[in-house]
Amino acid sequence: MAAVATLVFCAPGYPGGAGDAQPFLDKFASATVATVGWPAGSLAAVYDPTEQGGLQKLGSSEAVLAFVPYAFFVQHAAQLHLTPLAQADMVGIGPQERWTLVAKAGTVTGPPSMAGYTILSVAGYAPEFVRHAALAAWALPPDVKIESTGQILSALRRVATGEQVVALLDQTQAAALPTLPFAAQLKAVVQSPPLPVAIVAVVDSRLSAARARALQAALLKMGHAAGNADTLAPLHLQGFVLPQLPRPSTTP
Amino acid sequence: MKKWIGCGVLALMAVACRAPLRPTLQNPAPTSASVEDLAAAIASDAKRSDRESDSKIRGDLAADASRDAQACIAREPQTAACLYGRAVALGLEARAHPTRAGELLNNMLGSLASADAADPNYDQAGPARVRALVLIRAPGWPLGPGDAEAGLVAARRAATLQPQYPPNLLALAEALAKTGDANGARENYQRARDLAQALPASSDRDDWLREAEQALKQK
Repeated sequence: MAAVATLVFCAPGYPGGAGDAQPFLDKFASATVATVGWPAGSLAAVYDPTEQGGLQKLGSSEAVLAFVPYAFFVQHAAQLHLTPLAQADMVGIGPQERWTLVAKAGTVTGPPSMAGYTILSVAGYAPEFVRHAALAAWALPPDVKIESTGQILSALRRVATGEQVVALLDQTQAAALPTLPFAAQLKAVVQSPPLPVAIVAVVDSRLSAARARALQAALLKMGHAAGNADTLAPLHLQGFVLPQLPRPSTTP
Repeated sequence: MKKWIGCGVLALMAVACRAPLRPTLQNPAPTSASVEDLAAAIASDAKRSDRESDSKIRGDLAADASRDAQACIAREPQTAACLYGRAVALGLEARAHPTRAGELLNNMLGSLASADAADPNYDQAGPARVRALVLIRAPGWPLGPGDAEAGLVAARRAATLQPQYPPNLLALAEALAKTGDANGARENYQRARDLAQALPASSDRDDWLREAEQALKQK
């Protein structure tokens, strides 16, 4: 581990820029190498808020680790050869979350009634995740479109006004639905099973098995060491758990 | 891994106010300073913070601005200059302390509304312009007060109040781009560039031209 390895954070659709994030990422990288016992400075961390930017960074040979939302993992794990090491345990959410499909009240009664609809979601960049993880229990009609949006409030306004759109919300968004003035016009029609929130993964076997095991053990310890609380809190992390990936659904 | 980086805030202060840079840190305005002096000191801190990459210095600038804003509000609590200054200081605090950004930005919007009620034309329609930028750039519901459509309304208001001031058109262009009106955004970036080109040379003018031209290149 003499050369500097890079941990790439990527969370498409969520707000924030790399500049603001960098001090927190640096601190996280330092705490991680200290916990695992690697030389100081041997792990760098970078953030990219876009899917394409994240893919580009993860494609570079320095990218050894990925820290990505589960939707990103589902969409790109095969292409990037991601091997999960740990699952983020988020403050206020936990290690897993449910996604909720929200429609205008009285319009969507089951998968067939969604013909011609568009699903708007912060995870819309990951149609594999939407179809086969979040909505695995629903056989969506083939003409359903899936679109990415970072403007979930605007999306919900469109749902409420009766456009042929529905919104797929993460757990934080779904929990806040009652705070909207037009909440009465919306209805949660189906919920996903519990799914991981975010995954730390090795990229393309660029970390040896022994080092990966050491890093995994360190990540699992991080939430229990009092000194790490200040490092994890700005990232809304409370620690890590072993990956609990759901079994892949069969494609309808 | 969602809310976190989401706390990252706003480089909005460059268009908040025009003021010369304060030369040193930890040098708040003297207790005898006038409201105008305090407002100018806050504006200077904001401008310097916007160009500062060191988070420690940004924190110091936010603390300076916050002290000056409190002094200003204590002196003239209903004056647009002090209400606006407090809003700008809260924005600097939000950037320096991202874990508290949600609460700080909501308070900032409250101060901007009060400033707008006191004098909507203060700082060339600053209350509406800065409100627009907060709503456009802040994390959206439910993580923060960001709301692109409400931001567009505020940006239109600023551009209507002071249509000759380039930052108002830059804010309107940004709001239009964020809400999906690429043509409207391009048109307003061009108008902002044309207005700025007609102004005498200054660092502000250079900043506005740079922002407009960079945006137009990407369109």
